[in-house]
Amino acid sequence: MKTIKKITLKENDASKACLDKVELDRIISFYAGKPGRLLGILEDAQKLNKHKYLARGDLEYISRKARVPLSRIYNIITFYAFFNLKPQGEHSIVVCRGTACHTRGSKILLDFLINLFGFKEDDFSQDGKSFLTTKDNKFTVKTVACFGQCALAPVVEIDGNIYSRMNSEKLRKIVKGISTLRGKK
Amino acid sequence: MSEEKISLRINDSVYECDAGMTILEACAKAAIDIPTLCYLKDINQEAACSICLVEVKGAKALVRSCVTPVRKDMEIFTNTPRVRKARRMNLELLLAGHPKDCLVCDRNQSCELRKLAFDMGVRDVRFPKTTKTELPLDTTSVSLTRDPNKCILCGRCVSVCSAIQSVKAIDFSGRGKSSKITTFFDSGLANSVCVNCGQCLLVCPTGAITEKNATGGVWAALSDPKKFVIVEVAPAVRAAIGEEFGLPAGSLVTAKLAQSLRKLGFDKVFDTQFSADLTIMEEGYELIDRIKNKGSLPLITSCSPGWIKFAEHFYSGILEHISSCKSPQQMFGAIAKTYYARKFNLDPRNMVVVSIMPCTAKKFEALRPEMKSAFDYWKDELNLKESEAFYDVDFVLTTREASRLIKEAGINFINLPGEDFDEPLGISTGAAVIFGATGGVMEAALRTAYEVLCGRQLEKIDFFGLRGLEGIKVAEVDIDGLKLKVAVASSLSKARLLLDEVKEGKSPYAFIEIMTCPGGCLGGAGQPIPTDNEIRLKRMEAIYREDKSKSIRKSHENPAVRELYKEFLGQPLGEKSHHLLHTHYKQKEGEF
Repeated sequence: MKTIKKITLKENDASKACLDKVELDRIISFYAGKPGRLLGILEDAQKLNKHKYLARGDLEYISRKARVPLSRIYNIITFYAFFNLKPQGEHSIVVCRGTACHTRGSKILLDFLINLFGFKEDDFSQDGKSFLTTKDNKFTVKTVACFGQCALAPVVEIDGNIYSRMNSEKLRKIVKGISTLRGKK
Repeated sequence: MSEEKISLRINDSVYECDAGMTILEACAKAAIDIPTLCYLKDINQEAACSICLVEVKGAKALVRSCVTPVRKDMEIFTNTPRVRKARRMNLELLLAGHPKDCLVCDRNQSCELRKLAFDMGVRDVRFPKTTKTELPLDTTSVSLTRDPNKCILCGRCVSVCSAIQSVKAIDFSGRGKSSKITTFFDSGLANSVCVNCGQCLLVCPTGAITEKNATGGVWAALSDPKKFVIVEVAPAVRAAIGEEFGLPAGSLVTAKLAQSLRKLGFDKVFDTQFSADLTIMEEGYELIDRIKNKGSLPLITSCSPGWIKFAEHFYSGILEHISSCKSPQQMFGAIAKTYYARKFNLDPRNMVVVSIMPCTAKKFEALRPEMKSAFDYWKDELNLKESEAFYDVDFVLTTREASRLIKEAGINFINLPGEDFDEPLGISTGAAVIFGATGGVMEAALRTAYEVLCGRQLEKIDFFGLRGLEGIKVAEVDIDGLKLKVAVASSLSKARLLLDEVKEGKSPYAFIEIMTCPGGCLGGAGQPIPTDNEIRLKRMEAIYREDKSKSIRKSHENPAVRELYKEFLGQPLGEKSHHLLHTHYKQKEGEF
């Protein structure tokens, strides 16, 4: 039998508007009349968020102010892997799962991280848009289809920096480094 | 430029065509069929499906004929092994991901995908289903159900919602094989700016968008001996439902329809046209009142529930311009459960009002919380509790759903001799018939307003300038020296042009009619599929034919409406009318 699930409006804390309206207005007026306006607004809005994601409430505000239909905004933010719809951990680790990186062992790196943080492998779907965040909210692990750095495969991006020719040992050291650095503070 | 003619070869014959044409258009002109799926002329030309492939000499790959312009001396081949193989492969790949429950699908008689598969000779399913996950249905809306599993991502619904209706409730989301068509955060149509017009349903080539089925409730009411079940039929239905029984578009089947509904077991077979005449009385007098007392002008019609929701979302600043009159469907329900119930001593709680509409938005309208006027009317007299509240209209069926009831009951629709509607709520005039076509409400209102304002007979009662499929029509009427500019819009994108003027306070018009669907109700989303411009025109001709054949063609001359005012309502815009026939509008969470 076919399961018919009713879609209901999900309201949680993460969906509430949390950005400063003055800042958002500034971003929206900055991009007024510029090509690629919506992408720019969404990118800056995500950066503005402490947890690096786009909250539903903020998007509704952007829609009204920038006069862009909500459906269009949802189209854009679900198309680009860059945009996050849920709160992100403090540090992001993005494993490239492109062809070049795959042949140079990126699956091993991903499995290593899944083990290290105690995730379940099934939690990752194949669309490249899903991510996992550690319980203490410190790390978020994501995959991406290609960074365009194939010559340096396998590639992992940590907090915006690209690390080339990675292996599990190097990855373990960097992760440990970030954890202890924070611990000392 | 487009005047320029060029010659080209199609399948080894030489043809001449306009320089601006696409290959698809040139082939159509040469009477060569090319199968299409996602293509909708002027609306959706996204080249998404790759069914319309043709071979062009010199081109490396096959080209999509729907978007490729013709060139001088082009050599086109539409029927080569390579073309047939590629088209069929693309179709088979689409079919691989599509459910195979065609036997029980709502669209099984009108599915373009099924027809294509048959026409293109696909007789087996070669490829296994690639998607494992079943996507949830969007059942939030009271008008429409969306099943993304049946969607083939042709994009027609997105284009119609955006280009024709300018509502933009739905769009693509995701990427690659997780692509789907959805609302903001998948929250469902009911939680979006969707106005329930259902034009998306009308253009969907598969069963991915369907109306909410109300036939079950109607069957239950019909077989309940305690219930007094009344049916009302909208004007546009009689000019279209014949198509569901194999009659050509434009067949008028008013009498057959009335008889078959009686055979179905409805206790009384009434006509929404009765309440359309009533609407004209109320709305006509409202217009006259606003002109005389310098009220908000232009007055804008309120019959089309899609437009009403659209206004509440997008034009909340000009709601006072919209007539406070309820739509004919709702006026009928309110009058049936008050006036008629009283006159024939019926308990309104045991009455069931079923409406047959060319429309999906009517399902939403009937369930608006304020549409319980009859309950409010009886509350004190019958000592009713809030928990016993009932709606004025209980069930709304589309034209298609009504035809299914008739088929299921084994009624031989085509061979019925035909009968009249019941009295008194089945009596109507020609002015009410034309509610079904864009411009009709305006014409009907002018016929009455003229005579009321001038106090003498209108000689030429046909306003030909207000007829036809154009998106916007304007006219100027001279009522004893009072020059009234009026405008008519069908489709919401066209309506925006008039509404923006109203918003800026620059509208030159005194009266505006807005219909949500292109062509008016005759092109509504509850009508038989397919509905295209050719079919719309034929239904329109049928509607004006019916108007012409009526002995009374002005709403204020409807004897049953006169009796209603004499016995019950008093006068137009009176106290009772205010409670039963008028409503109010509220700003809704909009976008901008």
